[in-house]
Amino acid sequence: MEQLGQIIILGLLLGGVYALMASGLTLIFGVMHIINVAQGAFLVLAALITWELWKTTGIDPLVTMIVTAPLMFVGGYVVYKLLLERLRDSSPSMTVLLTFGLALVIEGGMGVVTRNVFRSVTPSYFNSSYNIGPFFLPKPQVYGCLAAVAVLGLLYFALTRTWMGRAIRASSQNLDAAQLVGVSATSVAALTFALGASTTGVGGSILSVLFAFFPASHYVWISRLLGIIVLGGMGSLPGAVVGALLLGIAETVTASYISLRWATVVFYLVIMVVLLVRPQGLFGTRLREDVT
Amino acid sequence: MTARFLPSRILPSQHRSVAAAVVALAALIAFPLVAPDDIYRQNVIFQTFLLAVGAISWNVVSGYTGYVSLGQSAFLGVGAYTVAILSLEWGVSPFLLSPLGGIAAALVALVVGFIVMRSRGHAFVIITIALLLLFQTIALNLGSLTGGSNGLTLPLPQWSADFQNFPFYYSMLGLVVLAQIMSMWIRRTKFGTGLVAIREDEAKAAAVGIHVVRYKVLSFMASAVVMGVAGGVYAYYLTFIDPRGMFDILVSVGIVLAVLIGGKGTLWGPVLGAFIVQPLNEATNVYAQGSQTRLVFFGGMLVLVVLFMPDGILPTVSRLLERRRRAHKSVLSIDQERIAQRKPALALSAERAAPNPQQPLLEVRDLTKHFSGLKAVDNCSLAVREGTVTGLIGPNGSGKTTIFNLVTGMMRADGGEIKFAGERIDELHPWERAHRGLSRTYQITRLFKQMSVLENVVAPLPEFRWSHLRAGGISGAEADKAKELLDFVGMAKFAQERADRLSFGQQKLVELAQALMLDPRLILLDEPAGGINPSLIESMADLIRDLKAQGVTFLVVEHNMPFVLGLCDPVTVLARGSKLAEGRPDEIRKDQAVLDAYLGEPEPVPQ
Repeated sequence: MEQLGQIIILGLLLGGVYALMASGLTLIFGVMHIINVAQGAFLVLAALITWELWKTTGIDPLVTMIVTAPLMFVGGYVVYKLLLERLRDSSPSMTVLLTFGLALVIEGGMGVVTRNVFRSVTPSYFNSSYNIGPFFLPKPQVYGCLAAVAVLGLLYFALTRTWMGRAIRASSQNLDAAQLVGVSATSVAALTFALGASTTGVGGSILSVLFAFFPASHYVWISRLLGIIVLGGMGSLPGAVVGALLLGIAETVTASYISLRWATVVFYLVIMVVLLVRPQGLFGTRLREDVT
Repeated sequence: MTARFLPSRILPSQHRSVAAAVVALAALIAFPLVAPDDIYRQNVIFQTFLLAVGAISWNVVSGYTGYVSLGQSAFLGVGAYTVAILSLEWGVSPFLLSPLGGIAAALVALVVGFIVMRSRGHAFVIITIALLLLFQTIALNLGSLTGGSNGLTLPLPQWSADFQNFPFYYSMLGLVVLAQIMSMWIRRTKFGTGLVAIREDEAKAAAVGIHVVRYKVLSFMASAVVMGVAGGVYAYYLTFIDPRGMFDILVSVGIVLAVLIGGKGTLWGPVLGAFIVQPLNEATNVYAQGSQTRLVFFGGMLVLVVLFMPDGILPTVSRLLERRRRAHKSVLSIDQERIAQRKPALALSAERAAPNPQQPLLEVRDLTKHFSGLKAVDNCSLAVREGTVTGLIGPNGSGKTTIFNLVTGMMRADGGEIKFAGERIDELHPWERAHRGLSRTYQITRLFKQMSVLENVVAPLPEFRWSHLRAGGISGAEADKAKELLDFVGMAKFAQERADRLSFGQQKLVELAQALMLDPRLILLDEPAGGINPSLIESMADLIRDLKAQGVTFLVVEHNMPFVLGLCDPVTVLARGSKLAEGRPDEIRKDQAVLDAYLGEPEPVPQ
């Protein structure tokens, strides 16, 4: 029983981090109906930047997110303006192909510029933990989860309390109506994409401490994120949080009771089973069957 | 031969492209014999063949059917592993076993197809990526069967060294030819027409009687089987396979690139694309060392192609050629006279008993449908008696079109029942309803845009038969009937025109002909007179009367009151999702409740 409790605690800590990572993906889908397959590559890129900063300056990765988040924001803005804006009228599959191509370029680019090896950031506390009763809470997981929750809170605040946030939410609920009341669709889309990318700046910094990574890790990451938002309901932020917590637990349980090797299979299966049985996920609304 | 415009065949002349293919094939057959020592080039060409097989087979499911997949290499891996494992187990040559690789891949496609083919667009691409990665993980983890990350080593070929790699070269070339023949054959058949219809508008395809699930799964299987056989041959050629090499997403990307560059959905685009992409890939291997550069190359190519030439080479070329040709073409117009003659020239083929006007052909009871909070249809009951032209009117938003969608099965009702000819149909698939004689047109026409007018009219299928699948797309009795129907609606001259080039009114007429192909007992007409020119409106009414005389029943939604009241009897009035009134046109005209619904209710008078 204690073992299960421990596993669930670890799963929840992990889930908190996943929630932040998935929030960007679901936000982008909610507003633009684009699945940014490059989101995983953005994460790994941000992790790599964090690693380089940590290696050269020794600054704690949880501090470097102050650099990586704006960096990814700008990067996301540029990517949207340069690539995605041209595809606004294309079919969804073409945008998936485009972002997949982008992911490959980022993966290859990272391999060309730096060595193609596993890396992880190891700050002084990376091997220590807090002990509460019979349970132990690894410090990196705790800090990572706290940082993720704080940023998610900020994101939630920005979406509900600022004009821009309301414009983003309005666009995701009804784009036509939002345009009619003066919301510019392109600038909202560009900002949403940039905001979504900036969450990977934070997520990537946390990732670099919690996981070893190398350029091709982005496949695993995008699968995780897709599993989460498909389960939660594409486009739903609360759905992403719940999906992340559930799958965080599912992953640690599988890794402990079955085998670490099969842990990622959970995500592939979730994607397929959920899309088959309940395409709208837990919280999403099924895209209306428009027939005219 | 006069250059006829055949929109679905991409090159202006089929004969010319076949001739070019034969010449190219002869050169490829001759190459190893002429240059037996050029092993390097032979290997590059072998890889090109493999890519071509992948591209041709991917084009069937993604080009024709329109389901873009990034998981095509999964079938290569399934074929390769099946053949490798069985050949090691049984000690039989992988060549002999490679058909089993194809069968294994087809079976996987059958199972997976039922799952993944339900989701379209985003979800499908995502699932295919997940599927490929899932297979890779399974192959890595099931070490006892697959050797895990250590891979499997196949027996070395036994033939004399004099033959070099010729058997591989020629068998893969044979597969290219087979795959291409399969692809061309599919495109020519009713099966292929159905697939393209699904690509253009899946809901509409289902509504005109195409069994979309079977069609999609079959196209997925056809796509998998060739790839699986190629996987077996490829495994033997490599003599070593491992999960990362066999379930490689880059192989899928190469396939996608080849087809996009050559022309998605065209007959020869995939082959052309393979012969462009593979040499480029080879060049990056040679000049830019390392797999990371290859990633940048493939990814960058994918981005550029999607952005700047999503249509591919062949469609672009044929568009240019066609533009030149169209400059000399005169403008066609509808055969108004033909419609005006109004002779009941059309004999609908279905034998049916004389309509019994007392018998409700369509019976809707307590039907309910809501979109979140909005009740679009609210406990609505209505009936359409056989042999009538029943009008369905009501203010905007009163639920008319939603009722059409519920009756034809494009949407599922939240409650209530629908009976057609005495049989419950609300649980049936749209195509099953179509097979029972239910047909419809749309307020905004939904023709298959990329198809010709004639192809549009032959697309509907009054029943599902396996033998139908291999019949020619435009052939036999159906083609004759389609031409007759086009003549009936006055659109015969437009038979070869692409559907999206027609005016709105012309499209309405073609859609009526299309609806008639099903030999329907009941046709639901959604605003037949809306948005078309006044002279056509009268023709439309005449056509409907003609058809009524032949025993076809109609349910007509229309806002043009003179049209409705002159044509329909009885008329049913809807308001806020349920029935407000019902009766003869002159009764409806005077009904106070109807007038209130249309013109607004009077202020309540204080007592």
